[in-house]
Amino acid sequence: MTRAELDAALGRLGLDVSEREREEVVAVLPLLQQMLDRLRPPGGRDVAAEPAHVVKFPEG
Amino acid sequence: MVPDYLTIAEAAKLIQQRELSPVELVESRLQRIEKLDGKLHSFIRVLADTAHAAARTAENEIAAGKYRGPLHGIPIGLKDIYETAGVATTGHSKVMQDHVPKGDAFSVKKLRDAGAIVMGKLATHEFALGGPSFDLPWPPARNPWETARFTGGSSSGTGASVAAGLVLGGTGSDTGGSIRGPSAFCGLAGIKPTYGLISRMGILPLAFSLDHAGPMAWTAEDCAIMLQAMAGHDPADPGSANRPIPDYRAALKGEVKGLRVGLIRHFYERDNEANAATRNAIDAAAKQLAELGCSVREITLSPLPEWSACGMTIMLCESYSIHEANLRRRFTDFGENFRDRMVLGGLVSGADYVQALRRRRELIAELDGAMADLDIVMTASAPSEAPPIDQVPKFALFERPSLTIPFNITGSPAMSVCCGYTDSGLPLSFQIVGKRFADATVLRLAYAYEQATPWRGRRPNL
Repeated sequence: MTRAELDAALGRLGLDVSEREREEVVAVLPLLQQMLDRLRPPGGRDVAAEPAHVVKFPEG
Repeated sequence: MVPDYLTIAEAAKLIQQRELSPVELVESRLQRIEKLDGKLHSFIRVLADTAHAAARTAENEIAAGKYRGPLHGIPIGLKDIYETAGVATTGHSKVMQDHVPKGDAFSVKKLRDAGAIVMGKLATHEFALGGPSFDLPWPPARNPWETARFTGGSSSGTGASVAAGLVLGGTGSDTGGSIRGPSAFCGLAGIKPTYGLISRMGILPLAFSLDHAGPMAWTAEDCAIMLQAMAGHDPADPGSANRPIPDYRAALKGEVKGLRVGLIRHFYERDNEANAATRNAIDAAAKQLAELGCSVREITLSPLPEWSACGMTIMLCESYSIHEANLRRRFTDFGENFRDRMVLGGLVSGADYVQALRRRRELIAELDGAMADLDIVMTASAPSEAPPIDQVPKFALFERPSLTIPFNITGSPAMSVCCGYTDSGLPLSFQIVGKRFADATVLRLAYAYEQATPWRGRRPNL
C-alpha cells in the first residue's frame, strides 16, 4: 500500500491521522502485509474447504 | 508488624487462625502503596475508604464465625478494565475517564462474595492494547524489579502491584498474552484459564473471541485460590462455559509423575529467538519437570509467525470494530500507541478476517492433534527478561511473533511460571499449557515446579 493509498483508506475510514503518524503507519505496512499473506496457504484454499464460521443454532 | 510480602495462602491461614486481622493487613498494604506507588504507578485509583470498611466487615464476620474461605480479608487489585459499581473504570484512557459503571463485573462480584477486599483500580495498557504509553491521563506502571524496566502488558499495574506486595493478588485479562507477559516480566504466576471459564461480562473488551479474564498472584496456589472464586457460568457472557468447576486448590497436591510434556523449542529458539538466559532457564525447567517424573519430549508445530498472523489479524479486526465509532469521533483522545495500532485494524479487509478464522480452525486442530498423547506443552513466555520501558517500539507486535497468542487462538489454559533470574536479578519465565478445561493440571504442574525450585523465595528489593 502506497502513501496515497493509505491516505485514501484513512479518508474512507474517517480517521484524523497526523502526517507524522501516517508516515509511521506506512513504514509498518509491509509487516502487516506479510502477516496477512500468511493467512492464505500457497495456491489458496479450495473453494469447497470448510467454512470458517458455521452458525450453530440451538437444537430442538 | 505485618510482613512486607505474604502470599494469599499464607495470609489466609493467619486470618483464619485469627493471628492476622484483615484490618491490619489492609492498613499495611495502604501504607505500602503510599510509600512505594509514587515510583511504581501501578494504581490508577486507590480505594482506601471502601477497603477499610470492607476489612472491618471481614473482621467482624470472621470473629462471628462466618469465615468465607481463603480470600476472606485478602487485599486484591483490579485491572482498570474490570467494571466496579460506582467507581470509575477507565481502561487507562482519556476516552473513558468519566465512565462510572452501575454494577460490578461478574467476576468482581464473585471475588467480593468470596471475601476479597478491593484496594483499587490498577494501571493497564490503554484498552488492554496500547502501552507502554506516556501520553495518557496516568503514567505507565513500572517494574518493581527495576523501575526503568517494562512491566509487560497489558495487565501492567497488576504485574507491578503484586510483585511489589502492594496487593496479594490481582486480576488481569489476556487477549494475546496480557496476563502471561506481565507475569513473566514481573516474576509472578499468572494463568490465562480456558476460554469461557471466567465470564467477561463487565470487563471492557479488546477482542471478543480471544479475550480471557484471569488471576495473577505470586504462586500457583494463590492463582488456584483466585481462579476458584472467579470461575463459573454466566449466561450474560455468550462465551461462558456451563460445566462443573473442580476444586483447583485441592488438585494442586495431586501426582505429577507420569505427566507427558511436549516442549515447543522452535518457538523460542528459531521463530522468536530468545536470549541465552531464557533458553538456559527453560532447559533447566524442562530438566526439573523430568526429575519430577514427567516425560518430556520435543514437539514441532507450525512456525510461530503463522500463529501470530492468525491471532493478530483477529485481534485487530475485532478491536477495531469495538472502538470504530470513538476512533472516528475522538481519534486524538486516544494515546498514540493505541490509535496507530488501531489504524492497522481498519486496513484489514473482511476477507482477511475470514481467512484468519479459517486458519484458526486449522491451528486449533493442529494443537489438539499434537496433544493427543500429551498432557502439557511448554514453551517460553517471553524471549527475554523485561526490556527498558523506553525501548518498546510502537509496532513491536508486528516485528516479532508473539509467544503467547497461540494459546488465545486455541482457548487453552496457559500459565506463566517464574523459572529463574538473570545475573542482574530480573525474572525469567516459561509457559505451561494444558488441554482445554484441564486448568487443574496446569496449576498442579506449576505448583509442583514451584515447590521443587527456589524461585518463589526471592522478592524485589524496594
